[in-house]
Amino acid sequence: MTLKRVLYVLCILALLFGAWGVFDRLTTGHENAAYGSYVVWGLWVAMYLFFAGVAAGCFMFATLDLLFDLKLFKGTGKAALWTGLVSLAAALLSIWLDLGHMERIWKVYLQPNLGSVMAQMVWGYTLFGLLLLVSLFLAIRKPTSKILKVLMIVGVPLSLFVSGAVGALLGVNAGRLFWHVGLLPVQFPIFSLASGFAAMLVVIGWFGAKDDARRPQQLWVIALVTIGLQVAKLYFLWADFSQSVYGNVPHNVEAVNQVLYGPYWWAFWIVQIFLGSIIPIVVLSRRKWAENPKIASAIGVLVLIGFVVARANIVFPALTVPELDALTTAFSGPHLSFDYFPSLMEWAVTIGIVGLAVLAFMIGTDRLKLTRAEVA
Amino acid sequence: MSDAPQKQDVLVQMQVDLKRALEKPKDQRRWVMVLDLRKCVGCHACTISCVAENKLPPGVVYRPVLEEEIGTYPNVTQRFMPRPCMQCDNPPCTPVCPVNATYKNDDGVVVVDYDQCIGCRYCITACPYGARTFDFGATYTRGTPEVAGLIVGQQTADDYERAPSYEYGAEHARTGDEESPIGNVRKCHFCLHRLDVGMLPACTTTCIGRATLFGDANDPDSVVAGLIASPNVMRLKEDLGTEPRVYYLV
Repeated sequence: MTLKRVLYVLCILALLFGAWGVFDRLTTGHENAAYGSYVVWGLWVAMYLFFAGVAAGCFMFATLDLLFDLKLFKGTGKAALWTGLVSLAAALLSIWLDLGHMERIWKVYLQPNLGSVMAQMVWGYTLFGLLLLVSLFLAIRKPTSKILKVLMIVGVPLSLFVSGAVGALLGVNAGRLFWHVGLLPVQFPIFSLASGFAAMLVVIGWFGAKDDARRPQQLWVIALVTIGLQVAKLYFLWADFSQSVYGNVPHNVEAVNQVLYGPYWWAFWIVQIFLGSIIPIVVLSRRKWAENPKIASAIGVLVLIGFVVARANIVFPALTVPELDALTTAFSGPHLSFDYFPSLMEWAVTIGIVGLAVLAFMIGTDRLKLTRAEVA
Repeated sequence: MSDAPQKQDVLVQMQVDLKRALEKPKDQRRWVMVLDLRKCVGCHACTISCVAENKLPPGVVYRPVLEEEIGTYPNVTQRFMPRPCMQCDNPPCTPVCPVNATYKNDDGVVVVDYDQCIGCRYCITACPYGARTFDFGATYTRGTPEVAGLIVGQQTADDYERAPSYEYGAEHARTGDEESPIGNVRKCHFCLHRLDVGMLPACTTTCIGRATLFGDANDPDSVVAGLIASPNVMRLKEDLGTEPRVYYLV
């Protein structure tokens, strides 16, 4: 059984599980979700941040081919745009299901408060999605079109804006010191770039043209960039956490402690840091391993999983610290808890969306022949 | 507050203040709430009256009472601190709303338009007081026996679940569908629907210790105007610049 077949089977199983989750979500609303009125944003929001980051990062990667005409990456732009488009769709699906009134999404377009970072982000991602779609169409049908170049030029600041806006969305909350970091909108585009490059490690490693002689070199360059971005990510993490702990503002320190020593410490230390950062840096720094498509793509998956946890570790800790200490015991009832671990329904929806995205990606790359070798 | 000796229950005085305030244009009123922590005994009557007044479902609370133990034995005491919405003059929750569903109305009260809210919950993350909750559509009677037995059964109790609330002067029926306010963010609104007809907020009326005081701070003769000029007054998290309209007497 080839890897692709295994993936197809897994995707279909994920879709079935996801279908149950979506059915539950649509028939019982948010009642079976584990997030509540205190930890108001859960797994779906974290996945939204993750997928949206991958989408922006993939677009940035696509510019290497379609804007900067780098010979080494000639022909990878289409696959990168398709990965970005699929990832963006998954992001928007994730966040749409998170809304209390999904049917009112049109209000953000027709009755927006443009002063809200969230409204700006929705508009930004919509424009970005359209840009991805048209760019991909042109890259397939009219690769020499000047309009494609223009779109890629416009897309660079737009991708920076949308990924930065996610950081700003959290950062503007002055009451949440864990988020209220001036550099958050600067960090997010770098996280996006890192997750986009990791996604392309997987795409080129697992789905790239086997007869393309440039593939090992492509993987090695992506690996080096990934290492650099991982180091940058670790530095940001160190800067944020060390300053928070040194500054000793109780609510901020509590949020950092939640990440480092809380009930889900293992997610940070084992998944995010060890598997998602340290192992990739060690493995990818060896050229022989980095050039091996199977190893490189497996490491790409690890980096992506690390980023999922990283996004969760940005969203949840700020919410698990009570705004007023005595709130924890002031009133009891369903969805009034400062502890959070996703419910089965939330996992089902997320796994279904991941399955759908991977399936769409595979069908798209096969049908559109996006990963065929191209001679530079 | 007038220097004249107090001859009436403070509730009656506030009722008179309210009547006077309602004669003024909305934008000339400044509703404030004063919570005298020295008088609060932690009975939670305000919380319960608020739940009853606004037909709040499980998991939705506008006015919890925070309890804190202070000191160490033998010098121990307990402090009770009701926490309604602060109705900030500079609210962090309103500018973040992507569809203008939450805003300060002409009275200066922060309101939620249930028919406009998309349920993104961004405003909840922005509130530094934890004063907003999300209506998940929970019911009190779920899992209880359908037919009344020795205790009240689901069918009887269901009448309460389905009773409409009249927040913001509109009827909000709870039909069992996912209609608003289910799927919306909800919060204390100083019982605007009561104020409009000359009644004090439910929490103020039911406070057994007269620890909750309400009125128009722009009226120099009102009970609250005098109290918020006291030296022992404080507001929560003033450093954030939110300018709360809820004052605590300590």
